[in-house]
Amino acid sequence: MKYFLFLPVLLLLWSCQREPDDARLVDQLVVSTNFDPVADFSEYSTYAIPTDTIGFLSNTNPNDTLLIAAESSYPRPVLQAVKANMDALGFTRVDRNANPDIGVNVYVVTNIDLYQQVVYPNYYYSNYYGYNSYYYYPYVQTYAYNTGMLVLEIVDIKNKTANNKVKVIWYAYLGDLYSAIELIPQSVEGIDQAFVQSPYLAD
Amino acid sequence: MKKIILIPFLFFVLSASAQQRMFYLNWDITKPASNTGWMNNASAAGGKAGYRKFMERSENKFSTGLDFGWTTYSQYKPAETFQQENGAITTDYFNYVFQYTLTGSVQYNFIAHENFYVYGGLGLGAMYNKYRVYYNIWVEGNESWGFLARPEAGVIARIPGRSIGGMAALHYDIATNKSEGYGYNNFSAIGFQIGIVLMTRY
Repeated sequence: MKYFLFLPVLLLLWSCQREPDDARLVDQLVVSTNFDPVADFSEYSTYAIPTDTIGFLSNTNPNDTLLIAAESSYPRPVLQAVKANMDALGFTRVDRNANPDIGVNVYVVTNIDLYQQVVYPNYYYSNYYGYNSYYYYPYVQTYAYNTGMLVLEIVDIKNKTANNKVKVIWYAYLGDLYSAIELIPQSVEGIDQAFVQSPYLAD
Repeated sequence: MKKIILIPFLFFVLSASAQQRMFYLNWDITKPASNTGWMNNASAAGGKAGYRKFMERSENKFSTGLDFGWTTYSQYKPAETFQQENGAITTDYFNYVFQYTLTGSVQYNFIAHENFYVYGGLGLGAMYNKYRVYYNIWVEGNESWGFLARPEAGVIARIPGRSIGGMAALHYDIATNKSEGYGYNNFSAIGFQIGIVLMTRY
């Protein structure tokens, strides 16, 4: 009978399979970057980027408050961080109607598995922000987890095709936005890191 | 080859006649000794539960037993940039190993007093490792089984006239668990365990 005293203690200890501290896990965004190996980044000198608007793509909640709320404070510091990094690399910002060499797309994608379902690093698509004044994104599929990714893209306008198709020559994924403890500082830090780990952009 | 070794060993463990029995539940503190670049932190999140029989015909000089153990190893890695073919990924992350072991064991009790034992022994069995890497909200990993050998030395002391006592032991685990993804050719660790025992009286 006395041996049964071990049972509750054993069960208690058995339950001690610890997992990481969530707060520490999400205090930095994961920053993933990729580039087109045939792109020659030295041939570009001007770029266009929106001032206060970033895209939002969701397959879940069309009323998400992260970005589309009128009072959202997220887009402006994010765009400013991207612009600061582009300027530091020696690119010159111009109006989107001033025939820029490259365009910079910034948008948020929620609840979509970017890592597995959306892969188009060298894929031609027909539009980018500002070029035909609306967004177009290919091949997205529902993902089981509620995740949010900040996506930065550089598209090659200088070498657009005859039928106005442009090519993504660099992109960065930063996530997860919805788990971030301090969304804006972590996003700005992540944007800086995306450029730090992409030194070829300065060529 | 492993089965050839294990089957007679377990038969010997399970078939031994005994006069005295004991159960024990120990807190196990372990430190990895292999692939320490991936996991080097000592772990206090472990335990062992076991059962032993003392062999009467050897005047309690020999004992045999079964032992179940569990340990969670964890280590935080600061942000690091991993270069890929056409890009890079930067993140901080946690490495984890969730480990479970099951062994049959034989001990030689150098001192086999009614209330005090000093022993050295060897356990043979299996180790199961779950390797996990946590980064932000994502997790990846793999699992492996391996053959485990565990030399162990320790002391057992019982309160005179009572069935309860204490136990402390040092052990070294060496197992064949591999994980190519995380750089393991084998898994070894050194550990110290301390806990309580319940023994049958004479």
